Amino acid sequence: MPTRLVRHAPRARPDLRAPVARRARAPLAVAGAAVALVALLSGCGADITHTRVERSLAPTFTNLYLQQQALLGHSGVTAATINPHAACHRLSPTAHNTGAGSDWVCQLTWTDAAHRVQKGKFELTVHPGGCYEAGGPTKIVGPVDIRAAGGRTVTNPVYEFDACFDTT
Amino acid sequence: MAAAPAVDARGLVKRFGDLTAVDHVDLRVEVGEVYGILGPNGAGKTTFLRMLFGLIRPDAGRLDVFGRTWARDGPATLAGVAGFVESPRFYPYLSGRRNLELLAGFDGADAATAATAIDRVLNVVDLADRATDKVGGYSFGMRQRLGVAASLLREPRLLVLDEPANGLDPAGIRDMRALVKRLAASGLTVLLSSHNMDEVEEICDNVTIMSAGRVAFHGSIDALRAQAPDPAHRLATSDDERALDLAAEHPGVSLTRHPDASLALRARADVADAYLIALGRAGIAVRELTLEVAPLESLFFMLTDPDRQDAGDRAAAAPVPSARAGAHR
Amino acid sequence: MTTTAAPNAAPNAASAAAPPGRARIRTVYRWEIAKLTAQMRTRATLTVCLVAPFLFVVLLDQQSQVPKDTLFGRWVHASGFATPLFLLGFATQWVFPLLTSIVAGDIFAGEDQYGTWKTILTRAHSRTQIFWGKTLAAGSFAVLTVTVLALSSLAAGVLLVGHQPLEGLSGTLLPSGRAAGLVLAAWATALIPLLGFTALAVMLSVVTCNSAAGIVGPVVIGLIMQLYSFLNGSDAVRHLLLATPFDAWHGLLRDHPYYGPLWQGALVSAGYLAICLAVAHTVLRRRDITGG
Repeated sequence: MPTRLVRHAPRARPDLRAPVARRARAPLAVAGAAVALVALLSGCGADITHTRVERSLAPTFTNLYLQQQALLGHSGVTAATINPHAACHRLSPTAHNTGAGSDWVCQLTWTDAAHRVQKGKFELTVHPGGCYEAGGPTKIVGPVDIRAAGGRTVTNPVYEFDACFDTT
Repeated sequence: MAAAPAVDARGLVKRFGDLTAVDHVDLRVEVGEVYGILGPNGAGKTTFLRMLFGLIRPDAGRLDVFGRTWARDGPATLAGVAGFVESPRFYPYLSGRRNLELLAGFDGADAATAATAIDRVLNVVDLADRATDKVGGYSFGMRQRLGVAASLLREPRLLVLDEPANGLDPAGIRDMRALVKRLAASGLTVLLSSHNMDEVEEICDNVTIMSAGRVAFHGSIDALRAQAPDPAHRLATSDDERALDLAAEHPGVSLTRHPDASLALRARADVADAYLIALGRAGIAVRELTLEVAPLESLFFMLTDPDRQDAGDRAAAAPVPSARAGAHR
Repeated sequence: MTTTAAPNAAPNAASAAAPPGRARIRTVYRWEIAKLTAQMRTRATLTVCLVAPFLFVVLLDQQSQVPKDTLFGRWVHASGFATPLFLLGFATQWVFPLLTSIVAGDIFAGEDQYGTWKTILTRAHSRTQIFWGKTLAAGSFAVLTVTVLALSSLAAGVLLVGHQPLEGLSGTLLPSGRAAGLVLAAWATALIPLLGFTALAVMLSVVTCNSAAGIVGPVVIGLIMQLYSFLNGSDAVRHLLLATPFDAWHGLLRDHPYYGPLWQGALVSAGYLAICLAVAHTVLRRRDITGG
C-alpha cells in the first residue's frame, strides 16, 4: 500500500510544512508599517520639552485669566492686552529641561487688568502623556476661591489648573 | 463503477512526540455496513476517529470520507457524517434543546426546519421531556443520548460512535445497543469503536482489531470466529487423576491443572462432548463445568497482547488475510 | 482510484442548506452572542457598567474633597460633564482591559473548559469561520460595554450634577452642547486601544487554552504598561505601548484640538490587532484537539 503524504491543493488548507511566515506576511507587514509610521511621527525629540510646556502654559493661562477677570466683573481685558510670556525649566539639573516630572517651574510674565506687568512663578507637575497640573502664586493670581461679581463664591480658575499638550 | 466507500484510510500515521498512536493503519468501511473498531484502551481507536473528524491532523497517510479529504475539501468532508468521540460534550449553561438549536445553526439549517428536526430526534432518544433543562444537570446517560440526538440532527449517512456504551449502566447499555441496531437496520452506515468484544460481535458485520496503534486483524465477524481458539472451560470432577489419564487418550483435548486444584479443559465443542461422555461412562462425575473465557475474547486478548507487538510479529498477529484484501487498491 | 459517483457526491439536506463564507461567520457570530447572553459574567459586567457610575457620583457627592489627581476630578461638583471624563480617565487606567478580557479571554478557552471544541468543529464550519465569529463577538461585547459605561456616566453626571459648562483643557469653558458631544467622542476614542486589548485577550485565550490566563493576562499587561509610563520609561517605547492611546482623548478637549496621539494610537492598535489575531488564528488552525 503506497503511503502518500497529505497533498497540497490549490484552494485548500495549506501543506503542513508550508512556512508559517508565508501566511503571516500580511499581518507582519501591517505591524511593521505601523511601527515605522509611529517612529516617524514621534520624531527624534523628547515628548516633553520646555518649548512645548511654554507654548501650552501661556495660552492656557491667558484663557483662564480672562475667565477670572470676567467672573470678577473686570472688563476691557483681552488676550492681546494680557500678552503672556512663559519661560520654563526643570529644577533637576540632570533632566536638561525635558521629560515628565514634578519639578517643572515656569516664570510667567503678563500684563494684568490694571496694565501692570506681573511676574509669577508657577509650579508644574508634568505627566508623561503631556498633561500637567499648574499652581500659581496666591499673592498674584488670588486664593483658591474668589468672590464673583454677583456675590457668589467660586473656584478661582487660575489658582490651580490642568492642561494638556501634544507629545507627538 | 463502485461507489466511494464511506471511510477509506490508507497508511494513516499519527505521532505524539515519541509515542506512535496510530501506526500505518488501513481501514475501509463500505456504505451500508456496520463496522467495528475494537481494541484495548490506548490502542489508537479514538485518535483514528479524531483524525476522521478533522480534530487531529495525520502525520502521514490518506483518509477519505465518501471520497472527500480534509486537505482538499475542508469541513465539507463531514457532509453526511455525524457522531462523537469520547463522551459528547455540550454547553452546561444552555438547555438540551438550545444546544441542539445551536448545533443545527452550525449545520446551516434555518430555525423552522431545525425546530421540527430537533423535536424528532429528541423523541428518538427519549429526551423530549428533559429538553428544556440545562445540560449541566443531565446525567451521563442523558448526555450520551443527547449526543446521539445531535448526530441524528445532521441526517447522516455515516454515524461514527466512539465507545457509545461506555460509562452507561446496564439498562443504558442495552438501550444504546438497541438504538444502534435500529439505526443500522434503517440503512445507516455505522462505524463504532469499542473495547468490548461482545458488543462488537452483537452489532457489527465487520471489524478491525487495533493494538498499540497497529491493525491486528480486519475482516468479518465470521472470519474472526473461525480464527477463535477452542473455548476454555473450568472442570471439576470426582476423580481428577483418572480424568487426566482419560484426557490423554482423547486427541484434541487439552486438560491441565489449575493452581487452585481445578482443571482447565480446552477442546473443540464436539471433541469436548465426546470426552465428557467418556468421563461419565468411566464412572467419573462432572461436578463443575463453566466457560471461563469466551473464544472470541480469548482471541482478542491474543491479538492485542502487548508482547506480540514487534515489527516482525505484525504478520503473525494478523492470522487470516483480510476477507476483502482483493478489493484494496 | 476512488470514483465520486453522483449519490456519494450529493450533500445531504442539512449541508445543502449551509450558506458559504460570510454568512457562515454571521451564523457563528449570532450563536456566540446567544451564548454570551446566557452567561452570568456578561450580564454582571453590563449591570455593573450601568450602575457603577451612578454609585460613583453619589459617593463623590458626599465627600468634600475632590479627586484632583485625575483629570477633570477637580470639576466633578462644578459640571456634570466632568463626571464621565473623570470616569474615563479612571477606568482606562484600571478597568478597561478587564472590561474586554472578561469575555475575550474566555470565549475561546471556554470551549476547552467545557470540552466543546469537538462538538462545534465537527459540524459544517471551518476553524477560520469559527475564529472570526468568536473574535467579532468579543469585539462587539467590548463596544457594548464601553457604550453602556459612556452613556451611563454621562447620564449620571448630567442627572445628578447638572449640565453646566465644562472647563476644558486649554482654559476655556465649553458650553453644554459641545461638552456633551466631546464627552461621547472621548469615550469613543477609547475603543481604539480597547480593541487592541481584545485581540490580546483572544490571543492569550487561544494560546494558553486557559480562561484565567486569558482574563487576567491583559489586565496584568495593561498595568505593567501603565507602570512603565508612570516610571518615566523611554518615550520611544511608550509610543508603542497599547495603554498609551487610552489618553489620546485629551487632545479633543481643547480650543485647538490635537489629534497626533489619536492617529498614533490607531496605528499601534492596528499593529497589535494584526499580530495578535494572526498568531491566534494560526494556533487555532494548526491545533490537534485531543481533549474534550
